[in-house]
Amino acid sequence: MGIVTNYFETCSIILFGVGFATLMFHRNLIKKIIGMNIMDTAVFLFFIAKGYISGKEAPIITNSYKGIEGYVNPVPTALMLTGIVVAVSTTAFALALTIKLHEKYGTIDLDEIIRMKGD
Amino acid sequence: MYKYFPLINVFVLMITAFTIPIVRKKKIARELSIFSNAVILILSIFILVNVISIGDFHYKAGYPNTFFGIDWYIGSIESVLSVLFAFVSLLIVIYSYKSIEHEVPNEKIDFYYILLNLLLASLLGIIYTNDLFNSYVFIEVSTLASCGIIVIKDKKANIKATIKYLIMSTVGSGLILMAIAYIYSLTGHLNMSLIHEVIIKNYTQYPNSVLIILVLFTVGLGVKSAMFPLHGWLPDAHSSAPTPSSALLSGLVIKVYAFTLIKILYRVFSFSIVNETIILNVIILLGSCGMIFGSIMAITQKELKRMVAYSSIAQMGYVFFGIGLGTPAGVATAVFHIVGHAVTKSALFLCSGLMIEKVGSKKISDLKGIGKEMPLALVLFTLGAFSMIGIPILPGFISKWYLSLACIEINRLSLVIIILTSSILNVIYYFPIIINGFFGHENLEGKVYKSKSVSIDRMLPIIFLMTAMVLVGGFSKNILNFISTAF
Repeated sequence: MGIVTNYFETCSIILFGVGFATLMFHRNLIKKIIGMNIMDTAVFLFFIAKGYISGKEAPIITNSYKGIEGYVNPVPTALMLTGIVVAVSTTAFALALTIKLHEKYGTIDLDEIIRMKGD
Repeated sequence: MYKYFPLINVFVLMITAFTIPIVRKKKIARELSIFSNAVILILSIFILVNVISIGDFHYKAGYPNTFFGIDWYIGSIESVLSVLFAFVSLLIVIYSYKSIEHEVPNEKIDFYYILLNLLLASLLGIIYTNDLFNSYVFIEVSTLASCGIIVIKDKKANIKATIKYLIMSTVGSGLILMAIAYIYSLTGHLNMSLIHEVIIKNYTQYPNSVLIILVLFTVGLGVKSAMFPLHGWLPDAHSSAPTPSSALLSGLVIKVYAFTLIKILYRVFSFSIVNETIILNVIILLGSCGMIFGSIMAITQKELKRMVAYSSIAQMGYVFFGIGLGTPAGVATAVFHIVGHAVTKSALFLCSGLMIEKVGSKKISDLKGIGKEMPLALVLFTLGAFSMIGIPILPGFISKWYLSLACIEINRLSLVIIILTSSILNVIYYFPIIINGFFGHENLEGKVYKSKSVSIDRMLPIIFLMTAMVLVGGFSKNILNFISTAF
């Protein structure tokens, strides 16, 4: 039953699997990087879902303070903000490396690159 | 006052790292880096002295009395490792002062020192932190910085190795973050001590979740610290990088993730919880495979640096072997092996880098007779190799000895055979280099005795590292006793 009712967790695990498989089994580097991003996003979804309490508001006081019970847990959201920054910088670095790799090898197919003898 | 030292350590490194691009002068960049490393070493020694005399302490950044401030914990292992990392890194930076121009393009030298400082800052952060998410952020910083110091050479092989390393590490980081998400959903905390309090009460209700968390952490950190089947990136990355980077990566970077695994297994969880799961058997199996397989692969290598890199995989096998024993003695020995191997392997890498630079060839076969041309370098290399093989009083022997004792203590005698086999395999790949180096004559026609010897100031860092190695061996009892107080 848990699998059916925990939409967020189920969805994020499926996404994680998709991302992981793309990262591991695709030969194209750009697709690998996309897979890496899907994987990271899945973890973000999982993490943020842990802080969500259905029916509660985001922890921003609009009219009046409603007490602790009125709001969702803000800690996972704040953490994932850092996580997103980390993922963005990793992606940028990976893409920059891909450009360099294309300059030197003329291809972004990882299998082909590994087969080539580089200096 | 000394409670602020860990924070000052990380800040000094980060601030100097970001001052270098403003200055943009190679010479000043190098001097700033050496200066900051020296400051770190002095502060780390202060921390160690304080921990010895007063005891372990916490430093809480942010909100001191709540559960969501970031907590740093400095106990005996942390203080020892912080001194070790500062010491090794200082000597590597001093070594790079004279040699970096041969390997890194001229206009990138100041970037190189930015990355070195950032890397050491993040490594110290990983060691000190007592907060899971904080350690995740530091792990990511260290991954990017270590990719940077490999790719900076700007050769084809470096870019290939870096992309391999980056992809493998991102898989690892994804798994670590997933594990943190699991543990957060289970306990509602990110602070390791608080997680421990919650989990020790409730773990019997969630056996599967605990197992999933342990597997995710082990695989995630295993990728980054080159655990046996996940080591594919290491030989390329460590052998193609510039020599100071190889020494830093092999000596320090892979160790810190193994230490994080120790923290998670035995501080977040505990000996009793971990011993009930199968994860320790998996770790010990992979560690043993790494010890044997890494050595066998090292035998087949034709390039010196690749061989030393494969030897790192074998030596990480010992660390995982110690972790997998699941007893305080085994884990303490694993930490001791981290200390011993860090000084030895960085010295070996610097030595082989020096020999490769002078001979002009990476091949082991071209190093025959090197002992006639560079006697001191080969003597130092031999000393390091002796420690790897396990000649008494050197740290390699001592960790093997205590690992064997820890195996006998829990009645698993068959594991001792693996340690012995691995030692014999070590002899097979280190001895030919030494013997051919001292007694080989094939390459010596028309060459002069000591013709390639380098000035003593370039050898000094290696000599210091080797002296430290002998001292670590000599004071092994004190170090092990001090480390054991953490468990």
